[in-house]
Amino acid sequence: MTSLRRSIHFLTLVLVLLLAFTLPAPAQAPKTGGVLTVHPLTAPPSLSPHEESTIATVQQVSACYSNLVYFDPAKKQESLDTIIPELAEKWSWQDNYRNLVFLLRHDVKWHDGKPFTSRDVKHTFDAVRGAPDADAKLRINPRKLWYENIEAIEAPDPYTVVFRLKRPQPSLLLLLASGYSPVYPAHVSMAELKTTCVGTGPFKLKDYRPGEFVEYVRNPSYFIKGRPYLDGVKWVHIKDRSTQIAALQAGQLDVAGSGWNKANAETAKKGKAELIVVESDSNVNDNVLINAKRAPLTDERVRRAINLALDRKSYLVGPRLGAATFGGAMQPRPFGVWGLPPAEVPTLPGMGDATKQKAEARKLLAAAGYGPNNPMKLTVSTRALAIYVDTASWMVDQLRQVGIDAVLEQIETGVWHPKMTRLDYQLALNLTGTAVDDPDAMLFENYRCGSQRNFSGYCSEEIDRLMVEQSQTLDHAKRLKLVNEIDRKLQAEGARPILGWGKQYAVYWPRVKGYPQHENSIFNVSRLQDVWLDK
Amino acid sequence: MAQVRTLDVVQDVQILPVERARGSVLGQFVRKKPLGAAGGVLVLLLVTTAVLADVLATHDPVRTSMNVLVAPGADAWLGTDNLGRDLYSRVIHGSRISLLVGLASTVVGTVIGGLIGLISGYAGGKTDLLSQRLMDIMQALPILVLALVLAASLGPSLTNAIIAISIPIVPRAARIIRASVLAIRGLTYVESARALGARHVRIALRHILPNTMGPFIVLATAQLGASILVEAALSFLGLGIPEPYPSWGRMLSIAAAEYAEKAPWLVIWPGLAISLAVFGTNLLGDALRDTLDPRLRGS
Amino acid sequence: MRGYVTKRLVIAGITLLGMSMVIFVLMRLAPGNIVDILFESAGYVDQADKKQLERELGVDRPLAVQYARWVGEVMRGDLGKSYRYDMPAWKIIKPRLPVTLELAFLALVFSVLLGVPFGVLSAVQQDRPLDYVLRILSLAGLSMPSFWLGMVVILLFVRALGWMPSVTYVSPFVDLKANLWQFTIPALAVGYRSSALIMRITRSAMLEVLREDYIRTAWAKGQRKTLVVWRHALKNASLPVLTVVGIEFAFLIGGLVVTETVFNLPGVARYLVDAIQLRDYPVVQNLTMFITVVVVLANLAVDLLYAWADPRIKYGSA
Repeated sequence: MTSLRRSIHFLTLVLVLLLAFTLPAPAQAPKTGGVLTVHPLTAPPSLSPHEESTIATVQQVSACYSNLVYFDPAKKQESLDTIIPELAEKWSWQDNYRNLVFLLRHDVKWHDGKPFTSRDVKHTFDAVRGAPDADAKLRINPRKLWYENIEAIEAPDPYTVVFRLKRPQPSLLLLLASGYSPVYPAHVSMAELKTTCVGTGPFKLKDYRPGEFVEYVRNPSYFIKGRPYLDGVKWVHIKDRSTQIAALQAGQLDVAGSGWNKANAETAKKGKAELIVVESDSNVNDNVLINAKRAPLTDERVRRAINLALDRKSYLVGPRLGAATFGGAMQPRPFGVWGLPPAEVPTLPGMGDATKQKAEARKLLAAAGYGPNNPMKLTVSTRALAIYVDTASWMVDQLRQVGIDAVLEQIETGVWHPKMTRLDYQLALNLTGTAVDDPDAMLFENYRCGSQRNFSGYCSEEIDRLMVEQSQTLDHAKRLKLVNEIDRKLQAEGARPILGWGKQYAVYWPRVKGYPQHENSIFNVSRLQDVWLDK
Repeated sequence: MAQVRTLDVVQDVQILPVERARGSVLGQFVRKKPLGAAGGVLVLLLVTTAVLADVLATHDPVRTSMNVLVAPGADAWLGTDNLGRDLYSRVIHGSRISLLVGLASTVVGTVIGGLIGLISGYAGGKTDLLSQRLMDIMQALPILVLALVLAASLGPSLTNAIIAISIPIVPRAARIIRASVLAIRGLTYVESARALGARHVRIALRHILPNTMGPFIVLATAQLGASILVEAALSFLGLGIPEPYPSWGRMLSIAAAEYAEKAPWLVIWPGLAISLAVFGTNLLGDALRDTLDPRLRGS
Repeated sequence: MRGYVTKRLVIAGITLLGMSMVIFVLMRLAPGNIVDILFESAGYVDQADKKQLERELGVDRPLAVQYARWVGEVMRGDLGKSYRYDMPAWKIIKPRLPVTLELAFLALVFSVLLGVPFGVLSAVQQDRPLDYVLRILSLAGLSMPSFWLGMVVILLFVRALGWMPSVTYVSPFVDLKANLWQFTIPALAVGYRSSALIMRITRSAMLEVLREDYIRTAWAKGQRKTLVVWRHALKNASLPVLTVVGIEFAFLIGGLVVTETVFNLPGVARYLVDAIQLRDYPVVQNLTMFITVVVVLANLAVDLLYAWADPRIKYGSA
């Protein structure tokens, strides 16, 4: 062989190799078939998302319903930019964000065969917003607040819906995209929907055994052709955590991790190295409710001392086992869209040097008249569930370290919210998970004067005014500035000290493909229509 | 023959007046009933640990730290839990809670039940019939279920746990004491005392009560073990002693379920503590019953 | 005899009635009623909505009225609706019954299979090493908390030995092997503790019988020891043993509550705990009544057995 030929051969080889390694590998074609067995947070209290406020219901029922619009499962950070059409083909804002018009799909059928029309949309959201002329009423309605800005909902023809608002609210679209906002059928009563599901989603309800499992089978007439890939989905509830882990490792569960902490995920992986662990941020935080109307918490110094005494670093190691992020009232950046600038976070109370902050706390308490000779007595209340009790026990110890004589009080399920609403507590440890990473949802629910979920009784006219202002601000940069300003004020006042933002885990077998996980919410990913099993 | 039911033993109890032995009762006991003596040692260990908890513990049982889920070692003899609390100190202090709740519920339950049984057995007639039915009703449910419902009604707290656990003991205690009262009441010397004009209360206190001491002690020891178990179960289910009291049952519920894989010591030691405590009381109870009731020497 | 039976039945009836009242009142003493719970999972409190719901569920009527309604329903065979899940309580309980019954039955079988032979052995070898060992083992079983035993068993069998049955219930009619694979370990865990009790009773009953004259006569006559033991002694000791077995069945239920939780078996006992915590009155009331009925019937059966076996026993001397 001549040297020229050899060189050409060599170059060709190099070229081929280069191409092989730089060209993207062809994506695996999704296979259809198989039933996905998933472990939920816990058994759902009912199957009606509009009447519940727990991920347990939303995650186990999202497969059955559809929204007007939804968040793209493939995009990890939810925002206005990741909203995709579902029942609505197109939408448009009119009149400077005062009217939202949806043009609906024509080809959608409910699981019982009846056609989907705009009447169903009007029926659902009139009921949720508590419209006086609504044709149905929700017995329990936790998110009425979300839709209070709606003046009227019109359905001028079977495939058009108009939401008329009192003032501009660009975030309404986000609220409608959340897992808590599915469209209900107008021809099925609200009561029935608590124990069964009649939806338009990719899966039909096959069997529901309360406390045991929720089973779905593919919807053959789903309006998105070629979906879902799976033949069915089964959400199986196992009470005992170590049995959950063992079941996953034995392959009896395909996916688990809802409600798990870092230790659980590590244990699962240790036993079966093939398991895939995905850790993401979540929009769930531990926060402290301080009842400023009760002595000795009426004193601003005392409130600040408490906030300083709770060392966030110790919180990270103990209750969170190393998995948490820190910030203010909105989920921290970069995964949360509206968090405080990262440079500001270390300056928040409780984030600094523990010894210094505890010393400062003691000084504040002394100034308020409390010390070794006159220790302050405080009761920390929390819900009688393991995850809360652990963190609350940690809290009690932190307070004891600055000389506060703190004790823990466990409140039974059912008594918790009434007690909080009545402001019948001193300090309380609370967990807040908001469905959508949006100030309209998070700030209004938790900080507005008189809001039903504003358990600390915080009320500031100025903050209220700023909240409404940001809700109407259309320019994102301007709105972010406003939201950060509100957040800064809230943290300075110690309105509801945030301990930290937890992480979420999904642990699954490699054969599970396309399992979605978002960074700033846990509520809007469970449609499962793009998931497939590589068996 | 009196049919008697306790938590874990169904026996035919023939009640005889207790003969008071003097001298080295203890020595005799140890020699004749080695198992019982072993049980006694365990119970003594439990009581000592409970009393001297502050001295025996190495750390504050409530103090959290950054050393979470550390394996047993020099610093933490039995390891730490998920909040960095020293397990050894928590187990030591847990003895206090278990003993306190166990003793309190047993005392309350057996005293109340005993009184009811005493009055019921002595008075006879309508009072007896009524209280019998009442006891039947209370006894119709298994202890755990009744305690569960009670604890759920009353809420998790130390006092409520004691109440919830003592109530199921009442009917069982009443039954036993009543049976022994009935047996004694018919004895000749009691009847003669009555004939001689002694007042009822005097008879009850002077003659009957001392002779029910035997079965009473046996009952109390048996129920002590049962109370500790029920308290553990209630705490395990989240209804018993609330935090921050380090209760053995509660230690098993939270930590064990979540971290059993990573930190098996969290499961082993509290459970072992409960088992040993109850084992000791059961051994002692068995031996006491044998000694105080010679007819039962076979068991 | 007829009088004895009637009296017993009447007593049973009164017990049931009394129990029903106790349960009814106790449940309502608990802080937070069902409406609170329903709003709990919604995460907020709205007084107007609450009152409306209370009216709908009939929870705002006076206790006596509610109680009368419930008794009426039970008489008609209507087990009411679960407040929590908004479906007939029977619909929830029905699929769970076979699980609990099977677990209880298997546990009982194991406890007898373990308890009786060991009890006999222990009695025959009285005060010898084997006796001590068996007694310690059985007492250990009684001393361990049932849930701890369950946890240790899971740690041992699941972790160390890789025992992992189906996560959902498999009916024995669908797949017997899978079903037994699922139930054997939990049944053994429950059965072990019950067997301890049965062993002790068998032992003491056997000891009493073995001392009897006619046994000694049989030995003196030269009959083989084992034969004597099993043929004569056991037969006469069987009555107290049967008594315990009957009573144990009731006590088993307490152990089932934790075992079903730990081993993830969707039974009735586990649901009882959930229902209590969820203040699901109809379900709790009906389930507790069901358990009471079982216990009362078991006691009744035992008492009747005594009456039939021993005509000397007349009601009134117990």
